Amino acid sequence: MSLQTNSMTQSPLVCLRELNKEYGKFTAVDHINLDIKKGEFLTFLGSSGSGKSTTLSMIAGFETPTSGEILLNDASLIHIPSHKRGIGMVFQHYSLFPHMTVRDNIGFPLDIRKVAKDERDQKVDEILKLVQLEAFADRRPSMLSGGQKQRVAIARALVYEPEILLMDEPLGALDKKLREELQDELRLLHKRLGITIVYVTHDQDEAMRLSERIAIFKEGEIVGLGTGKDLYRKPPNAFVASFLGNSNFLKVSVTGSASAMLNKQHIEVENVHEVPIDQKAVLMIRPENLHILTPEQAEKEPLMAGFNQLSGTVNESVFLGESLTCSITIPSGEKVVSKNIATEQPDLAPGSTVFIRWNSKLSSLYSKWEQSDINKNAA
Amino acid sequence: MLLSHGSLGWKLKSSLYVITGVIAAFLALPIFFIMALSFGSSQWLVFPPPSWTLKWYERFFDNPQWIESAWTSLQVASLTSIIATLLAIPASFALVRGKFRGRDYLYTFFTLPMVVPVVIIAVAVYGTFLNLGLTGTLFAFVTSHVIIALPFAIISIINSLRLFDKSIEDAAVICGAHRIQAILKVTFPVIKPGVISAALFSFLVSWDEVVISVMMASPNLQTLPVKMWSTLRQDLTPVIAVASTLLILLSLFIMIIASFVRKQSNHR
Ligand SMILES: Nc1ncnc2c1ncn2[C@@H]1O[C@H](COP(=O)(O)OP(=O)(O)OP(=O)(O)O)[C@@H](O)[C@H]1O
Ligand SMILES: [Mg+2]
Repeated sequence: MSLQTNSMTQSPLVCLRELNKEYGKFTAVDHINLDIKKGEFLTFLGSSGSGKSTTLSMIAGFETPTSGEILLNDASLIHIPSHKRGIGMVFQHYSLFPHMTVRDNIGFPLDIRKVAKDERDQKVDEILKLVQLEAFADRRPSMLSGGQKQRVAIARALVYEPEILLMDEPLGALDKKLREELQDELRLLHKRLGITIVYVTHDQDEAMRLSERIAIFKEGEIVGLGTGKDLYRKPPNAFVASFLGNSNFLKVSVTGSASAMLNKQHIEVENVHEVPIDQKAVLMIRPENLHILTPEQAEKEPLMAGFNQLSGTVNESVFLGESLTCSITIPSGEKVVSKNIATEQPDLAPGSTVFIRWNSKLSSLYSKWEQSDINKNAA
Repeated sequence: MLLSHGSLGWKLKSSLYVITGVIAAFLALPIFFIMALSFGSSQWLVFPPPSWTLKWYERFFDNPQWIESAWTSLQVASLTSIIATLLAIPASFALVRGKFRGRDYLYTFFTLPMVVPVVIIAVAVYGTFLNLGLTGTLFAFVTSHVIIALPFAIISIINSLRLFDKSIEDAAVICGAHRIQAILKVTFPVIKPGVISAALFSFLVSWDEVVISVMMASPNLQTLPVKMWSTLRQDLTPVIAVASTLLILLSLFIMIIASFVRKQSNHR
């Protein structure tokens, strides 16, 4: 294997080309194309059964693709067996060897590679230190806590210095506090070692917290790829918009390159996807981008250029400490939810009339959507 | 549990103890009886024995026929145990890991000897070996015992293989071990208790098998149970009690090892 050939150029470390996996008639992974850059932290995010683990298993070599190509440093991996791929992997349930001590678990990849004993011991000690498990080196896995077990698993996967580390929901079995602790450790570890990590999760907070890029999976396809920020702020489609965070969807019809009609009212829109005129579309606005004004405030503050305004009636407002959410019915009968910093909000009694404003640049317009996407409205 | 031990009244509790004791005695009494008789001085197996003696043991160990049959039993049971276990390992892997049509039918097929009456198997095997002219050989004994031991071995290994998390083996593979290496270094050590009990149970199945063995036996090759049976038909001597006692002791010994192995595996 020529693992080192392209490390200096910009070419991606791993390329998935039209990667496809079928189980009988069921398509688990549907012609995926993806470039994984050297040194990046990339997360596969998606709901259960969306094909994340299957994709990871194909990279690891545990599943054989039905068709398509996997390249590592431009060389095909398809016919290379798992044990020769030089990939590291961490599994959801730790998968430590129960009959070996922590030290021997971590030393296992080196023993297999017939590394000389001195070097082996030295490397194991180094990595034990890295994951702060020196004191537990001679214990069996059954005598460790969940977090410690997962650290051993990470150490075992790192000890042979793989170019890429695959992690399939590695923190899924841990409780919330421990999970957040290990997330921070993992992020630091990635920074320190500069290793490429492909991470699978269905927890979007975790994905946001850890990753440089996120690939959003839906029914075996990647429907969104980018930084968490970009995906959140400018979702490429209605599914990503509804999947990541909360969102309001309003039905509109497009009237111009930057305008649309919302229930007999003209509004400005940001039409980046170039939805044609007269087409029905949905407008997506994040709750935190909806500002609420009392009629007095609305009169005092002029509407800035690029902003839209609608009137509405308050259904309910909920104080959440640092923020305040407010559910409002607009003239079309649709409901929207706003979420703003509590100190900036006036008290809003149910039934009172208010105005809502938003910056058209912070909204997105989609010509295609599924009912299931917009049903998951912010409320 | 609905009926926890602590919540029972003392009346109910003590009557439960009594019932359990009676059942245990009912099960164990014949064994104690026969063991006691093997040390009894009475030629006619009178109980309680008028006095105690080791002379029946002397008779047993002085008689080359008894010793030979015990030795044959030991040989047959050991070979059966080894062969059944070696066959059960790949069969279990195929039945648990394999993805092929009819896998579940194959499992049923493999366990069939457990439910088919032994007499039927005995007659079938006898007919086959008679045709081949192989009755009365060690080969015939072992082969026919493997048939009835295999289901026990397979069930034992399959159970531990099903409990084994395959991702542990996958972890070894991605760490650089060839699949075979991973199975040898990781999977086997973890499922070892299942493999050991497979071997022990196959041994036991063969050790006290009599129906098939009677048909396989020849005057110069017979197992201990067969020798006992044929002796019993001629006369009732306390030497049979000795043979029974030895049979029981070895079985007991193996059961103890088996439970020890099970306990160890539960510890992990
Ligand atoms: N061996 C298999 N045979 C048949 N179908 C399978 C097999 N493995 C996976 N699938 C199916 O492929 C789909 C994708 O599975 P996959 O495990 O990749 O999902 P996932 O995104 O990892 O989900 P989760 O978050 O639940 O782990 C699922 O619908 C699953 O039922
Ligand atoms: Mg999964």
